[in-house]
Amino acid sequence: MDALLRAEKLTKHYGPVVALEAAQFEVVEGVTGLLGSNGAGKSTAIKLFLGLISPTSGSMHVLGVESSESLDVRAKLGYMPEHDCLPNNVSAAEFLTHMAQVSGLPPSQARSRAADTLRHVGLFEERYRPIGGYSTGMKQRVKLAQALVHDPALILLDEPTAGLDPGGREEMLDLVRKTHTEFGISLMLSSHLMGDVERTCDRIIVLEDGRVVQQGEVTGFTEELETIFVEVEERRREFLEALRKLGVEAAEEDSAVIIPEAGEDDYDLISQALVESKAPLRRLGPRRHALSEIFEDPAIPDTQFSPAPAETQE
Amino acid sequence: MTSASGTPGAMEAARGREGQVFDLGYRRYDGPREGRNRARLAVYKDGLRISLGLGRGGRAKILPWLFVGVAILIGLIFALIAGAVDRVAGAGTAEAANLPSHADYYTGAGILLFLFAAVVGPELLCPDRHNGTIHLYLVRPLTSVDYVLARFLAFMTVMLFVAWLPQIVLLAGLAFGAPQPAEYLQDNWLDIPKFLAAGAAMAVYTTGMGLAVAAFTTRRGYASVGLVGLFLISQFVAGALGETVTGTAGEWLGLISLSDPPLHINELVFQVDDSLNAGQAARDLPTGIRIAAYFVFTLVPIGVLVGRYKRLSV
Repeated sequence: MDALLRAEKLTKHYGPVVALEAAQFEVVEGVTGLLGSNGAGKSTAIKLFLGLISPTSGSMHVLGVESSESLDVRAKLGYMPEHDCLPNNVSAAEFLTHMAQVSGLPPSQARSRAADTLRHVGLFEERYRPIGGYSTGMKQRVKLAQALVHDPALILLDEPTAGLDPGGREEMLDLVRKTHTEFGISLMLSSHLMGDVERTCDRIIVLEDGRVVQQGEVTGFTEELETIFVEVEERRREFLEALRKLGVEAAEEDSAVIIPEAGEDDYDLISQALVESKAPLRRLGPRRHALSEIFEDPAIPDTQFSPAPAETQE
Repeated sequence: MTSASGTPGAMEAARGREGQVFDLGYRRYDGPREGRNRARLAVYKDGLRISLGLGRGGRAKILPWLFVGVAILIGLIFALIAGAVDRVAGAGTAEAANLPSHADYYTGAGILLFLFAAVVGPELLCPDRHNGTIHLYLVRPLTSVDYVLARFLAFMTVMLFVAWLPQIVLLAGLAFGAPQPAEYLQDNWLDIPKFLAAGAAMAVYTTGMGLAVAAFTTRRGYASVGLVGLFLISQFVAGALGETVTGTAGEWLGLISLSDPPLHINELVFQVDDSLNAGQAARDLPTGIRIAAYFVFTLVPIGVLVGRYKRLSV
C-alpha cells in the first residue's frame, strides 16, 4: 500500500535551532501517533506536510505527490490546529459551510456536508448557535468538524486533547478513533500524552529533539512490555513465595507486587498463588504505561506520561 | 395529515420502505471539488457577508447599515434641497445657485466613506488573525495572496456600493424633482460616468488604506483608531504646512493630506475646485501630478497589504 505521507531525510532548521533532523518515516492508512515532548518537532513535521513551511533539506510526499507545494493536494487534507482557530460570532453551521467551500466544494454540497459533519461530531442540535458561546469541548469538536467537512483522505491533528478535562479527552479520542473506524479516514495526531497515543493509535512515531527515535505498531510496543501489578491487603510475602513456587517472576514495588513481561497465562497463575497464600486481594490489573518505558529520557517529566487507569478487581 | 393504511397502495408503499436502508452513517463525498477558484470565490463572498454583517448577529449589522443609511440620507437631503429650491424659485435655480450636487457629494460625505473603511474594513482581516482562523485558510487550496486579494475585492465591492448608491439616489431625486425627468436625464447624463469614476476612485483608495492598516494589527479597534489618526494627523500637518510653506514646496506638501487623494480625482472629473480638505495648495500642481499622486497613494497601500500577507508567518 502506498504511504499517505512519507518523509525522507526531512530537515528543518530555524536559524541555529534544529526543529527536525533527517526525519525518515511513513504514515500509512490508520491512526498514527506522533509522540514526543514539547519542542520535539511534532508541530514542525505537521506544518511541513501541510506546506505551511518549507524544509531546509530533504523531501516529503503527501498523498503520493512530491511536497505539498501543490495546492490541489490540500483539498484532500484536513488540519486541526492546536490553538484557537474559530470565529466567535458565526454559527457552527455557517462556519462549516464556508470552510467546505474554501476547500473547493460547491455551495449546496457544502451546506449538506456541514450539517452531516456536525451530526457526526455530536453538535447537530447546537449548530445554529454562535461558536463564541460553546464550551471548550464543543469548540474542539467544531475544530475537528472543519477538518472533516470536505471528506479528506488524511487529517492531521496537532495536540487534539490540549486543554481538555479528562472527560473531554475521552470524548475527543473516541471521536478520533471513530473517524477512522467508521468514516474510513486516516489520521495522524501529535501528542505528548502517552495514554492518548496508546489508546487511539495503530501506529506510533516517537520524536525526540527533532529525530525519529522509534516507530512501529502500538500493539508491538505494549505486548512485549506488559506489566501486571497486584496489591494485596496482607500476607504479601506469602503471596510472593507462592508465585515463585509456580515459576512466576515477581518483584516488590512500593506497596504492590509487579509481574513484568507477563502473558495471558500469568493471570491464572496469579489467581492460584492468591488462593494458595490466602492473601486478600485489593487490586489487580495490567499496568499499561508500557510505552513510557521506551523513553528512558529524564528530560521528559514523568507526569506527562500518565499510565492508563488500571482495572480494579475486588 | 391523511392516513391511507389498509389500502393496497399503502401496503405496497410500506413493503417498499421495508427494503430501504436508512443509512445515517458517514458518507464519503465524491462530488465535484472545484479547488482554488471555488476557494477564492468563497473567501470573496464571505468578505461581503462580513462587511454587511450578514449571517452574524444583529449587532454586527448595526454599524455597516448605519453608515449606508446615513450616506443615502445625505444624498436624499441634497436632492430634497435642490428640489425645494427649484419648486419655490423656479426650475433651474438650484443649478444656477450652485447648490450641492454630484460634484459635492464626496466632499461632504467623503468623511463618512473614510470612517466606513476604518470601522468596517479591519473586520475582514483582523479577526481571522486574532482568532487564528487564518491557519485554516492557509491549509486549504488557496494561497495567502489569494485570500487577501479576495478579501480586498470583497471590501472594494462593498465600498463601491456605499459610494455609488447615494449618488444614484441623488440622481433619481434630482430627476424626479425636475419638471421633466426624462429631459433632466438627457441634459445631465454626463454626471453618471463622472460620479461612477469619482466614486470608484474613492472606493479603491479607501479600501486599500483601510485594509493595509488592518494588516498590521490583529485588533480591529487598533486598526480603526490608527486609520482615523492617520487621516486626522496628515490633514493637520498638511493644513499647518500649507499656511507656512508657500510656493511649489507648499503645493507638494499639500499632497500629504491622506483624506485628499480621491478628492483630487473628484475635482478633476467634475472640474470643480472646492473639495479638498487640507491640502488646498496641491490644487495648483499639474493635473498629471495630481493623478499620479492618487495612484501612488492607492497602489502603495495595496502593495504593502499583499506583501504583508505574502510573508505571513504561521
